[in-house]
Amino acid sequence: MALLSLISRYDWRGWVLPLALLLVWTLSTAFDWVDTRLLASPLAVLSAFSKAALSGELWVDLSASLIRNLNGFALGVLAGLLFGGLLGLSRQAEHWIGPTFHALKQIALFAWIPLLSAWFGFGEPAKVTFIALAVFYPVALNTFEGIRSVRRELYEVAQVLRLSPLQRLRYLVLPSAAPALFTGLHLGLIYAWLATLGAEYFFSAAPGIGNSMIDGREHFHMDQVLYGLMVVGAVGLLLNRLAQSLERRLLRWRDHR
Amino acid sequence: MTAAFLSLQRVHKSFALADGPLPVLQDINLNIRQGEFVSIVGGSGCGKSTLLRLLVGLEEASGGSLLLENEPIRGTDLARGIVFQDHRLYPWLTVEDNVLLALANAPLSKAQRHELVQEHLALVGLSGFAKAWPSQLSGGMSQRVAIARGLVNRPKVLLLDEPFGALDALTRAQLQDELARIWLAEGITTVLVTHDVDEAVLLGDRVVVMEPRPGRIRRVVEVNLPHPRRRDQLELVQLRQDILQDFSHSPNTALA
Amino acid sequence: MSNLPLISWRPLSLRADISRFSAPSLLWVGSKASALVFPALLLVLWQVAVNRHWVSAQILPPPSLVLESLLQLWHSGDLWRELSISLERVLIGFVLGSAAGLLLGIGMGLSRTLEAYVLPSFQAISQVPVLGWIPLLMMLVGIDESLKYLVIAKAVMVPITLNALAGIRNIPKGYLEVAQVYQLGLAQRLRRVILPAALPSLFTGVRFALTKGWIALVTVELLASSEGIGYLMVDGRQMFQLDLVIVGMLVIGVVGLLLDQGLAWVEMRLQRWQRPAF
Repeated sequence: MALLSLISRYDWRGWVLPLALLLVWTLSTAFDWVDTRLLASPLAVLSAFSKAALSGELWVDLSASLIRNLNGFALGVLAGLLFGGLLGLSRQAEHWIGPTFHALKQIALFAWIPLLSAWFGFGEPAKVTFIALAVFYPVALNTFEGIRSVRRELYEVAQVLRLSPLQRLRYLVLPSAAPALFTGLHLGLIYAWLATLGAEYFFSAAPGIGNSMIDGREHFHMDQVLYGLMVVGAVGLLLNRLAQSLERRLLRWRDHR
Repeated sequence: MTAAFLSLQRVHKSFALADGPLPVLQDINLNIRQGEFVSIVGGSGCGKSTLLRLLVGLEEASGGSLLLENEPIRGTDLARGIVFQDHRLYPWLTVEDNVLLALANAPLSKAQRHELVQEHLALVGLSGFAKAWPSQLSGGMSQRVAIARGLVNRPKVLLLDEPFGALDALTRAQLQDELARIWLAEGITTVLVTHDVDEAVLLGDRVVVMEPRPGRIRRVVEVNLPHPRRRDQLELVQLRQDILQDFSHSPNTALA
Repeated sequence: MSNLPLISWRPLSLRADISRFSAPSLLWVGSKASALVFPALLLVLWQVAVNRHWVSAQILPPPSLVLESLLQLWHSGDLWRELSISLERVLIGFVLGSAAGLLLGIGMGLSRTLEAYVLPSFQAISQVPVLGWIPLLMMLVGIDESLKYLVIAKAVMVPITLNALAGIRNIPKGYLEVAQVYQLGLAQRLRRVILPAALPSLFTGVRFALTKGWIALVTVELLASSEGIGYLMVDGRQMFQLDLVIVGMLVIGVVGLLLDQGLAWVEMRLQRWQRPAF
């Protein structure tokens, strides 16, 4: 009964548009209303997907992208935490390097690509550096702002209780900064995936899901482009969900209101 | 009077403003005996909270001296505990862990710490709430936890900065009685800052009446009545009337 | 205090201890000027490093060369030509995207039914970054101007739609009830109540959208273009003239900042009614 009411309360109207689109898409390709080279049929996309999955090609591409993504993410998080932490904990550091950091932030991420390619070449190091750069900004900025969000009143408690610097970090600064820190990590995760895709477009060819899409376009394999698009969307969604559930778990104390 | 335990001599404090220094405390002289309960009462802007912040070591005096057992007060110290008006519990720590924080650097075993925390939570009537989050507590309960945190490491002096100011009248009365009970049992030297004259006379051995602009001591009133007291005692009511007279003379110093 | 504070607060002017801050204005001027010290030192170090051949000028073109290229591009009119092409693309994409976004956002704001049908699909589509759509769009429309317009329009549309929707959903119920009491028609309700009330949120969306559009432009120009500021960088990279690349980065940063700050200024002027009268 509970399940039934849950189903009946679910708003199915959101599915109408995608299903209608799918129907039009299927019909138009089935009856040759459009050139199937320009618009592959849903079945073709599905078969391209299953072929790639069965031959293992999909897993090679996906794991290559994910490893690249993870390496860049880890590097960017590390650099962002250190830099944002330094800027947040030291007024001096903020004073001297803060303005430069904020100015460099203005440069659109992708505008770094030509310079990075000149410095690091077109291989994995350039790709990972680019992903790390994409992650660095949101993580550094949110770490900085998180640390600065420590409330003066709570800081005074730490003073009165004579907590050591390490204890202050553990009991006051980190928990205070945690929500902003997670926002930074969350944004970093989203940016990392975006940058992984970008890195695979811009730098030289190597296995990767973005690369497979570019390949598909060059060889006019619409089915390959479309399934790539869906995999990209699905991975982005999964990463997003993962970050959300992790965040909820670690910030339990905020839930009891 | 016996030798001063906590002593303030010619204490002066001013803040720097854009258009020059603003004196907030002027020539404060006060000697407090060991085990004494002193209430400091005054309207807003009389510098009473600043005085407490000097005593706890969160602010530095611009002049004069503050001594505890003949040692100058410099910075914060575990010998001087404080309970703020806002409970200031860390929302990410449980009730128990908040109180434990005051013992973070105490030379005690884990078991001893836990025992002390349990003991003090019982003292403030919150035995069953050790694992609760601060956001699950009412204002009065949070303030009890703050009191437990202030007491648990046995400070020589307990400073109370309008600890019940943000509570409703019923909870306030209840906590005042409990504070009196705890103070009688523990005998810790206590300085209470408040704008509530009833509270000041109910709890204090002496009541220091302050006046504003710049903050200074108007007079010190002895409350020679045994503890515990009843709030409807005739002497208390008379004392309260007497002190309120001080504020009614000049309308611009009315109580907040 | 024997215990150094891990973090210290900048003393508020009201609270600052008088003995420590006797000449605040002098200190303030000093602190503003010193913010430039670090970048200045960095530039000097950079220049010296190249002059002394610690690093090759080709890998790290010295600031003097970057400045020279910038001035050269400026005087020859090349910079302005490429920039105006880029700006035109942003403008067209922005107009297209914001028109679609406004229509969709206001439509969904007015009709819960439309929202129920469209919003889930819209969110699914906006989840996939612009970059993911580019190969598909390239196949559908080629790599001409229309690709740039579409990519920019998509980037612009998402924040405008969502902010328009949020702006309308957050209108205090009382305002709408007043309109109901006076039996205002849809056109009147839109003009007198809904649009003015949703304007602040809408404008935030516009400002955010313009920044997004500018970033999308840079991306698409780097990927597929034969003119524009992004192409200037690609060209510089191919000829290994990194001074041109850095000029491009500078221009992109400055234009991005100007667009954002310009809109912030307009926002402030437009919404003066929001501020208290005194």
